[in-house]
Amino acid sequence: MNNLVQTLDSVDFLKMDRRTFMKAVGLIGAATFLGSFKSQIVDALEFAETKLVWLHGAECTGCSESVLNAGNPDIVQALQKLNVNLVFHETICAEQGIWNDGKLVNTADLNSEILLEETYKAGNYILVVEGSIPNGPDGSGRYLVIGNKTFKETLGEAAKNAVAIIAVGACATWGGITNAASDIEKDTDYRGVAFKKADPTKGMLKELGIDKPVINIPGCPAHPDWVLLTLGAVILGKIKVPEDLPAVLDQYNRPKVFFSPDHVVHDNCPRRGYYDRGELDDQIGGPGCLWKLGCKGPYAHADCGIRRWNGSVSLCPQAGGPCIACVEPNFPDASMPLYVETEDKGILLGADIGTVAKVAVGAAAVAAGVHAVRRMKGE
Amino acid sequence: MKANGNPMVVERYSGLDRMIHIIHAAAMLTLIITGLKIYFGWDFMSFHTARALHMFAVPFLLVVNWFLIPVSIVLAAKGGILPRFMHFWDHYIFGPKDAARMAGIIGNFFGKGKYPAFSIYDEASGHYKTKLHPLMKILIVIEGLAIVVIAITGIVLYSLNWSFLGLPIASWILSIGGLFAPAFGLSSLEFLRIIHLLMTYWFVFELVVHVGILEFDPHVWKYYKAIFWSGKEDLTDTHYAEVVKTKNH
Repeated sequence: MNNLVQTLDSVDFLKMDRRTFMKAVGLIGAATFLGSFKSQIVDALEFAETKLVWLHGAECTGCSESVLNAGNPDIVQALQKLNVNLVFHETICAEQGIWNDGKLVNTADLNSEILLEETYKAGNYILVVEGSIPNGPDGSGRYLVIGNKTFKETLGEAAKNAVAIIAVGACATWGGITNAASDIEKDTDYRGVAFKKADPTKGMLKELGIDKPVINIPGCPAHPDWVLLTLGAVILGKIKVPEDLPAVLDQYNRPKVFFSPDHVVHDNCPRRGYYDRGELDDQIGGPGCLWKLGCKGPYAHADCGIRRWNGSVSLCPQAGGPCIACVEPNFPDASMPLYVETEDKGILLGADIGTVAKVAVGAAAVAAGVHAVRRMKGE
Repeated sequence: MKANGNPMVVERYSGLDRMIHIIHAAAMLTLIITGLKIYFGWDFMSFHTARALHMFAVPFLLVVNWFLIPVSIVLAAKGGILPRFMHFWDHYIFGPKDAARMAGIIGNFFGKGKYPAFSIYDEASGHYKTKLHPLMKILIVIEGLAIVVIAITGIVLYSLNWSFLGLPIASWILSIGGLFAPAFGLSSLEFLRIIHLLMTYWFVFELVVHVGILEFDPHVWKYYKAIFWSGKEDLTDTHYAEVVKTKNH
């Protein structure tokens, strides 16, 4: 890694083409990237200030927390280095909405609702959406109302003049946990910004009639590197929206550099050696491969195994928790039950295929035995 | 089709038939054993050896099923397209006569009637009219389909990025899997892996039925000898065999 950084140090980062840039950031991670190219990024400050609007829908704020937990750089350093004006973020800005008799009062300095309206009007901002958007009941979107405005309407207003839209976290990308299969799923009808589960025709922007590309950064939560590096690439023009998106995103609008179509978490899992040796744990707490404990690493397209989490020191399977494939479009339904091996799911009228196979093979063996005895007796 | 100068000893399986069956059996057993080793993590062999053997057996199975068997079927009959097609139809496709034999076999299993002959040799034409057990005719068609399915799903398990002549085949397969997977609450990759495992279980089931029910009988062992070694059947042994003489010959 040091050699790579030294090599890249001699490269004019700002003149890198997009492909090289994406490879570089994919390899070295956000912290190293921002640290190594500090001087060049300072040069980038010559770019016009970039406005960023970060909206929260139905969510747990875990993705914001994840980004806030970014260590080096932290969120403030990153925003400063990338010359970002964080116009609005529900968790970390001191926003407030002031109404008097149903009308917004005061100025943008004191009233965030006015600030947002002015920002939307002026345009030229990047929109980050965290959290899903309820379409229910009956398409009204009134299961999430903030300041007497549905979040569905808010998203429509915000998306209209955004120069780039980035959905962060499983909820904003596919609907996530809010959209999990349940008795009220149809009624609440939670949507992602561009997708509902794996369906790109039912994203909320489509519902609103807005035809704009969306970059999806899934995860529950999303990794801070994935968010910051994508923002950095967009801000610095390394990913031109929308021209470059077909080349850098997969079929679910995820940046291929982080969510490689060719690789899964299992490929680079620190426990992979145990799998190769056939040491598959059947109880939590062991050192072996967690596949039989329901690990979804073989199905999850993400670079967690290389990038790792919490300051690049660990990832779920390394810490003993089976991967739950939180980056996949049908999360969490496709990962449920979380700690049951996928092949043991009851998908055949409630029975798993292993049980069906055992019954079928057992019945065939019994029939074969009876048949053999009868044939030998010449009956 | 007569052999050994004995008019009642005829060629049941050609050399090509026997070679095909042996390669097919060896490849299938290798794939089942190494596949289940990979899945269950059995420790009698290393993962890498199992995977290498698994990938080594794949082309043998596919060449046998998708090339040699069609060639064998075409070569087994003489004449134009229609006679060859009829030969294929009579020998491999479950028809009304097979249904009648199957009913007789089931009846016999439950103690009613004789076990019907399923190997019918036409003395006039010097060829078999049919020779497969009726249950085998059902299994063989399902097996053909299962091999297609397991090969397609296996491509994705082999490489998520596999392409051929620049065509992103694995990506297409994943996209197609994605059309069905949500109905089972699965991702496309999960769905394809489960289907691959399900097909493996099918082959285990088929093996038990094929070897256990069809062949686990001293009177049928003559067919083991024929398919693996001699290729011949002595029609004087009338267990399961019948000699007919059709009028139009």
